[in-house]
Amino acid sequence: MKLPAGVSSADFASAIAEFERAVGKAWVFTSDEDVDLYRDAFSPFLHEPEELVASAALAPATTEEVQQIVRIANRFSIPLYPISTGKNLGYGGSAPAYSGSVVVDLKRMNRVIEVNEANAFALVEPGVSYFDLYRHIQERKLKVWIDCPDPGWGSVIGNALDRGGGYTTASYRNHFDSHCGMEIVLPNGELLRTGMGAIPNAKTWQQYKSGCGPWIDGIFSQSNFGIVTKMGFWLMPEPEAYLRGTVSLTRYGDLSAMVETLNYLENARITTGFPDIASPLNGYPPIGQVQLWNETGPPPMTEEHRKLLSSAKLGYSPELEAYGLKSGIPYWQLWLSFHGPAEVIEAQWQATQRHFAKFEHVKFSVVDRVKLPIDPSRAASYHEPELGVPSLRAFSIGARSPWNPTPSKGHMWFSPIVPRTGEAIIEANRVFSEAARELDMPLFRSFCMPACFWERSFIFILATPVAEDPAVNKRYREGFKKLIAIGGQQGWGEYRTAPVFQKSVMDVYSFNDHVLQRFHETLKDAIDPNGILSPGRYAIWPRHLREKQS
Amino acid sequence: MSRRLRRSGGVNGAAIVGLAFLVLALAARAPAAEPSDSHAAGRAVYTKWCAPCHDPGVIHPGTNALTVKYRGVKPGVLLEWKDLRPETVRYLVRHGISVMPQFRKTEISDADLDALAKFLSRNTPAH
Repeated sequence: MKLPAGVSSADFASAIAEFERAVGKAWVFTSDEDVDLYRDAFSPFLHEPEELVASAALAPATTEEVQQIVRIANRFSIPLYPISTGKNLGYGGSAPAYSGSVVVDLKRMNRVIEVNEANAFALVEPGVSYFDLYRHIQERKLKVWIDCPDPGWGSVIGNALDRGGGYTTASYRNHFDSHCGMEIVLPNGELLRTGMGAIPNAKTWQQYKSGCGPWIDGIFSQSNFGIVTKMGFWLMPEPEAYLRGTVSLTRYGDLSAMVETLNYLENARITTGFPDIASPLNGYPPIGQVQLWNETGPPPMTEEHRKLLSSAKLGYSPELEAYGLKSGIPYWQLWLSFHGPAEVIEAQWQATQRHFAKFEHVKFSVVDRVKLPIDPSRAASYHEPELGVPSLRAFSIGARSPWNPTPSKGHMWFSPIVPRTGEAIIEANRVFSEAARELDMPLFRSFCMPACFWERSFIFILATPVAEDPAVNKRYREGFKKLIAIGGQQGWGEYRTAPVFQKSVMDVYSFNDHVLQRFHETLKDAIDPNGILSPGRYAIWPRHLREKQS
Repeated sequence: MSRRLRRSGGVNGAAIVGLAFLVLALAARAPAAEPSDSHAAGRAVYTKWCAPCHDPGVIHPGTNALTVKYRGVKPGVLLEWKDLRPETVRYLVRHGISVMPQFRKTEISDADLDALAKFLSRNTPAH
């Protein structure tokens, strides 16, 4: 049995015995076979001794059991690492940030406590997946939508706490922003409720976010200051209809004005769905089509087109542009969607076309007009999450297919946030493609397009494969860290990352001699003086481990 | 869609069903419609945990992967396998393969896994 560092085998055995009394023997896992189930299935340390692994795992069923676990851990100085559903693949999975930690697996806490249709909100426990919440709503025929990420089997709470995103309307697809009220077991075992939940017998815990006084919810995301045991979320009332249309442009130079126009339309809530941005001429799909491309293959490309692409610089050459014009292949294509009453979304689509009419050669096309709820037999022809339906089709990324005959062992997501401008798209491609070539990294090898998960920024989300060969993985890890630092020099930062890269990412957030990092550590020391909770998560180490890590 | 499906391996039109809706429909139907189904428990585990990736059709990444891996030697659809042994199911669920992660006991308990293994090996000659 692996022991947490600095904990004697006698103390660990005593702690395990107490954990067994708290949650029941069946829910304390100590055998190698059981603990191995908590390994990160996409670990970039595959076959290497540095892989982050747990010493044991506990699976409480109630908040009270979580409180007991935390109190026991304090007595024996046992590092804990809570997970919700453990599906954070590509960002660390179910493995701890500090090897030897005891994983607190919250999957059994899987109650949908409330879905309120009249005011469109839900209150859930951490073990509730998007599939679970979706089923709960469908079984009761409630007229609300969830906003789910890809894939949809992760935890509603866990994804929000790791600040994930989805595919409907801006105010819902930012999953942390769409939460309202939390219940947290603090590192000393006390139970805290945030926002209006701090009022005993609160009547608006899921209806008013901030309560009064400092609004502290944010410090419980991407951190290690507490174990969230309940969380509220605002849901979108089920729309009556859905319209999806494309705006196609022909000139490389249209990019900046296209993004500016898109920004206006989304920020003014004229376009209401997930804006999806593609470059057909560069062979880059919109996110909503990625699964289809993986399943059935990318659209065919002529040899002439392929040759022109290979000689283009930053996605451009005059010859490529001329080829696009001649062949009717758009340089840029926006996939825009609208939810709401049919007459409203038709008017929004009309207004959208009016705003894009200034572009020479612009073309508009309606892809779908759908009356909601959608006929189940038609759902698969869509990117389901854009209709509030969870799916696992995203696993087509990396999985074996006719177009990917040698699948990887997983992937690590490189995901920098950059400004929402056309200039930033080109500059990010320039900076990262040059760096990736120099570092021999399999990223930015062709012109890449960002995603619009967040309202006022772009994010590039690119998979770096995990290989069987440790030497390859080592090169990828080192290259990944260098790309993070190079992005930082440009003023760009990752939005989220796996434990192995969390220090590199947080090092970029260094304004004023890393005062943000030091503030996190001040909080850590005050809230969790024994440093038992998720040591190292997002590079926040407790005092007794801080020096060792630096 | 049907044209695409035909091109990629002759999956029938019934496969073109929204997977989440399919999951729901099966979950709701299985126990009531087949009360005497000796594999009801295993089928329910399959429906919840395996179907979204392994049901028929290229929209299911596991099915697509197995179709390409076995190239006609075995079906891509796991439910159609006739040589799947229960111990193989148990091993793959607890260890994962390719981009399929392993499943923990809080997700699929040992009892659920036994039921799943029996269900998926129901077509396999005596073992």
